[in-house]
Amino acid sequence: MIELAKTKTQLDAEFESLYRTHLRDVYTYAYYRVGNHHDAEDLTEQTFLQAYRHFARAQQESDGRPLRPWLIRIAHNLAANHYRNRSRRPQSPLQDSESLAAAHSTEELVAGRDELARVLEAVKQLPEDRREALIMRFSLGMDNREIARALGRSDGATKVLIHRAIKQLEERMALAEGPA
Amino acid sequence: MSGPVEPLLERALAPIDPPADLSTRVMRRLEGIHDQATEELDGWELASMRDPRNWVRPAAALVVGTAAGAALVVLRVHQRRQAGGASPR
Repeated sequence: MIELAKTKTQLDAEFESLYRTHLRDVYTYAYYRVGNHHDAEDLTEQTFLQAYRHFARAQQESDGRPLRPWLIRIAHNLAANHYRNRSRRPQSPLQDSESLAAAHSTEELVAGRDELARVLEAVKQLPEDRREALIMRFSLGMDNREIARALGRSDGATKVLIHRAIKQLEERMALAEGPA
Repeated sequence: MSGPVEPLLERALAPIDPPADLSTRVMRRLEGIHDQATEELDGWELASMRDPRNWVRPAAALVVGTAAGAALVVLRVHQRRQAGGASPR
């Protein structure tokens, strides 16, 4: 019984650490997925509540690997359910200039608003899986292996996905700029 | 295009800090779920145990309430540490 209580205490401490370390990651992902702070907060809450329920099993199955991809996958699935249930299109911040202002400092916006707006416009036009991979890579700093686990793909397929996303983005931006 | 797209992507898709009171809101949400689960258990009459079809809801309430209650404790500790000046990351 004492051993069981100790295990529970350890689990709680580890969950707290997970929460503390990845709150911003989950919130950032949620925000770029749902496009507004209210729904992003709701999605973040739901993600951590669900994570807590399955934390012990996830730890056992992770075999020592980082749990961030698992957390992001939970958020990914909850976001998919969010849209399925409400039958509405995402208000992606990539489509919203106010969200751009919220995500960047005033100096950045003054210095490079056009440039950032062009990138966001190009990202917005990518297929969903490519866009998600770019959010995981550039917002969360996840490597290929982490992204692969979050998306449920192989490492190789993920590498190709990101490569193609960046290539397509460059092509779109070049096209938008016109001939030199 | 003037340069590689990766640095632009890093700026355009910058991480976003959650609102400072998000932890409090998470706690309230967990408290709500915990209270709801407790009420569910309180209202569960012993007689209903005779019918196995009635076991599912209270059992689910127990699971949800326990998880939410425990998560609540964890996050309260986290909030106390933050209030004490500990770095969140």
